[in-house]
Amino acid sequence: MITKKTGILVVILALIGFSCSKSDTDNANGGGDPGPPQIPVKEIVYDETGCLYTSYNNLVMAGYQGWFAAQGDDSNRSWYHYRNDCGFQPGCAAVDFWPDMAEYSKKYISPFSFANGNAAYLYSPYDEESVDLHFKWMKDYGIDGVFMQRFVVEVKDSNPAGKGHFNKVLANALKAAKKYSRAIGVMYDLSGCTSQDMAALEKDWAEIQAEFRLFDNVANPTYIRHNKKPLLTIWGTGFNDNRKYSIADVQQTVSRLKGPEKKVSIMLGVPYYWRTLNNDTENSPLLHALIKQADIIMPWAVGRYNADNYNQTAGTVLAGDIQWCANNNITYVPLVFPGFSWGNLKKDPSVYNSIPRGQGNFLWKQVAGAKISGAKSLYVAMFDEIDEGTAIFKALRENEVPLNGSGKFTGIENNLQSDYYLWLTGQAANWFHNTGNYSAVKPIRP
Amino acid sequence: MKKIHIYILAVTLAFSACKLDNLEKPAAGLSGKFIDAQTNELVQQDIIRGTQIELKEHGYDPVSSQFLVVKTDGTYENSMLFANTYTIQPVRGNFIAVEPQEFKISPGSTLDFKVVPYIRIREASITKTGNKIVATFKIQQNIISNVKKIGLYAHVDSRVGEPMRQAATERELNAVTDANQVYTLEIDLPSNSAVLKPGNQYYFRIGALIDASEAKLNYAPAVRITI
Repeated sequence: MITKKTGILVVILALIGFSCSKSDTDNANGGGDPGPPQIPVKEIVYDETGCLYTSYNNLVMAGYQGWFAAQGDDSNRSWYHYRNDCGFQPGCAAVDFWPDMAEYSKKYISPFSFANGNAAYLYSPYDEESVDLHFKWMKDYGIDGVFMQRFVVEVKDSNPAGKGHFNKVLANALKAAKKYSRAIGVMYDLSGCTSQDMAALEKDWAEIQAEFRLFDNVANPTYIRHNKKPLLTIWGTGFNDNRKYSIADVQQTVSRLKGPEKKVSIMLGVPYYWRTLNNDTENSPLLHALIKQADIIMPWAVGRYNADNYNQTAGTVLAGDIQWCANNNITYVPLVFPGFSWGNLKKDPSVYNSIPRGQGNFLWKQVAGAKISGAKSLYVAMFDEIDEGTAIFKALRENEVPLNGSGKFTGIENNLQSDYYLWLTGQAANWFHNTGNYSAVKPIRP
Repeated sequence: MKKIHIYILAVTLAFSACKLDNLEKPAAGLSGKFIDAQTNELVQQDIIRGTQIELKEHGYDPVSSQFLVVKTDGTYENSMLFANTYTIQPVRGNFIAVEPQEFKISPGSTLDFKVVPYIRIREASITKTGNKIVATFKIQQNIISNVKKIGLYAHVDSRVGEPMRQAATERELNAVTDANQVYTLEIDLPSNSAVLKPGNQYYFRIGALIDASEAKLNYAPAVRITI
């Protein structure tokens, strides 16, 4: 027997059930306006015939700034990035290291001299010959390749000089990468961007794809691919340093760049503490959602540790990160760097060699740490970064560098050859290629 | 009239009170194990300052976390939880970080965690040799951090460990260890006779601590010895 109370309850439940189920019914049975029929978008399939680098796995690649210009080169950008805001003359420079110029065929006399009075020369990556030499070194020392840096604020339409420079450097690099069979990829750096600049990134990416035929397996057989798509890197999301763009901006950009056809694979440059969302990282779970949309992450480790505290800092971070990425099917690429020095850039002598190289021991410690923790590939910061003293390319030793007024230039250790860090990075590449016999003990150069 | 008002008030109060009293007591529960993903053995813990499991009950904002304490043998149990969906994450553990997960807790729910301990104590042996308790073991570390220290701990209670001990021998290592090296730690019985009394039974346990933020010691199972 149904009482009055029970009867009311039944009616209420019926009403709730009715109101709750309406939208479901619409969806299921096409009630209301269903809109045009949805045709599933087909995922793009690229021809990878002849492609030499179809995955980042087992590769050791470096970042390539390519941002220097020399007075007298065709870029007309003077001593761009060699100079500081005070100019480029003894006592004022943006760089701490000095390239070893012995093998460059095209070089420019600089305002600096050596102690013996000889003039000091520099190169410009605007010149094809110089970029060619760098890629030859990569091949000579067994380093897999580089990611070409493109600062979005430098390649916007409002900066034609910058765009022209970076396009020329990219053209040089693509040609050399093909010649020496080295992997190459494009990495956008969002530093200095606003939300509105995301559109500039997308526009530039579309332009250089078309201009350089980046996805053409014949024109660019060494352009790096991952998960069966050309790889595009976006560096700089999730940092808690008050950037003028948001994680959501980057997420929308990634969605558009991939598109429903999944046109590209994406590597994200994220802060070191991306997983735990603390320290250098914005405390936003949206970052994890964005990372799950990407294919690879590369956390920025420069300045997060030194040789003394590397094991303590990186031990749990690497292990936890690798496990998280494995659980979420994301490729994890740890960053390693040889040391850090930016006394001239910061005009502060106390930060010359602020993270000492220690004869390569610091770099090898990270290489071994990453490998032993289970990483499959490395990003080396960086090939040619002498502003922050992380360069691995041939650089002068401490006792060979030019004079710098009341300041100084630093250099690599006096007892090492100028190519030592190229050689050591090549040893790391061997290890990640699973060739040779390596361990946590730094290899001895024959 | 006043009487009637009082009566109404009393009835109202009584109903209110009844409403509170009639709330269901927490009838759901959660139990489980921390299992070494490679060896399938339980991951030994500390009872004091050991691994905890953080529970955040859904539907409350802000929500206060509840923490379950893991037992020394690597199991845990709490039968006084409200049935609901929770976000669950082991914290401050002795294993590689585990992500939070959503889990619906109902009466008798179980949830095991497969984890990779920071350190495995391998080939552990604890014996009484003459006037000493001698522990030998190897260390397999699963992350690259230094091993901060190793220790041999003694207590009358089986939940013996670094924070719960009557006697101990510890050695600072502060280094990455060699998996093939055999470590030996000893507790001298005569010099500890005030706390380790001859003829009594005590528990001995080997521990090792990785040098990482908030990390806890890893242990071999405790061994009971009559001294």
